[in-house]
Amino acid sequence: MEILENRVEWERTFQDTWLAHFKKTGAVQWDLYNRPNQKIAPSGKGVNLSQSRLMLVSSAGSFLTDSQDRYDDENDLGDYSIRLIPSDVDPDQLTYAHTHYDHTAVNMDSQVLIPLGHLRDKVDAGEIGALTENFVSFMGYQPDISQLLDETIPLIIEAAKAQKADAVLLVPS
Amino acid sequence: MIARGLELEGIATTLTTWNAGRTRITAPPRATFTQLSRGSTIGAPHDTAQQLRILNATLALLEHDAPLDYVRLDETMDDVNG
Repeated sequence: MEILENRVEWERTFQDTWLAHFKKTGAVQWDLYNRPNQKIAPSGKGVNLSQSRLMLVSSAGSFLTDSQDRYDDENDLGDYSIRLIPSDVDPDQLTYAHTHYDHTAVNMDSQVLIPLGHLRDKVDAGEIGALTENFVSFMGYQPDISQLLDETIPLIIEAAKAQKADAVLLVPS
Repeated sequence: MIARGLELEGIATTLTTWNAGRTRITAPPRATFTQLSRGSTIGAPHDTAQQLRILNATLALLEHDAPLDYVRLDETMDDVNG
């Protein structure tokens, strides 16, 4: 099974329509965008969460204000990089760089997109075995699925394996 | 897509989203769907009870083999911006 079914066809359509229009005009036109339409979900074994190491993956565009580079959130072609941020981070150390959602709620309460406080409580309560040392953050505006497949996803998989994650919670923004 | 990639590497995944339509067509292994808003995926600010309901329901899916039917949660938001 492939992550993206019919990748070649998707790429051809994307390049011939949405991307071609952008290159010609400098403007995005979403009615040209070809969303994937996957038919079959992958199979996978469940885990005993109380015995598992969990990694959080967030597309909120967070980064450590004082030590990490900002995402290129103004780029209409997206940013495909990730940041690794300590799972015990103080939320006040985070900045959000993602122009495609209103930051009012996350600025009021980071738990709405980065629920680390709740997850740490669950570890303390024995409901989750452990959290990975770092969580994965990226900026969720990524129109080029080819770059997502070739750049972002391998980095996230690498982070999960390096930190011996048994399970992942994904929280899109 | 990311959930699919991880699951294919043998790492169990779950996710929650307010955008059932866009997520369903990516066919993730496990997911909960809410009627919350962009920017408040886990719940309303400082609404710990709602946030925990959503987290608990989403994390519980990890205990089961995938693929799973997607779970609709009756969670809404009255006024996300206070």
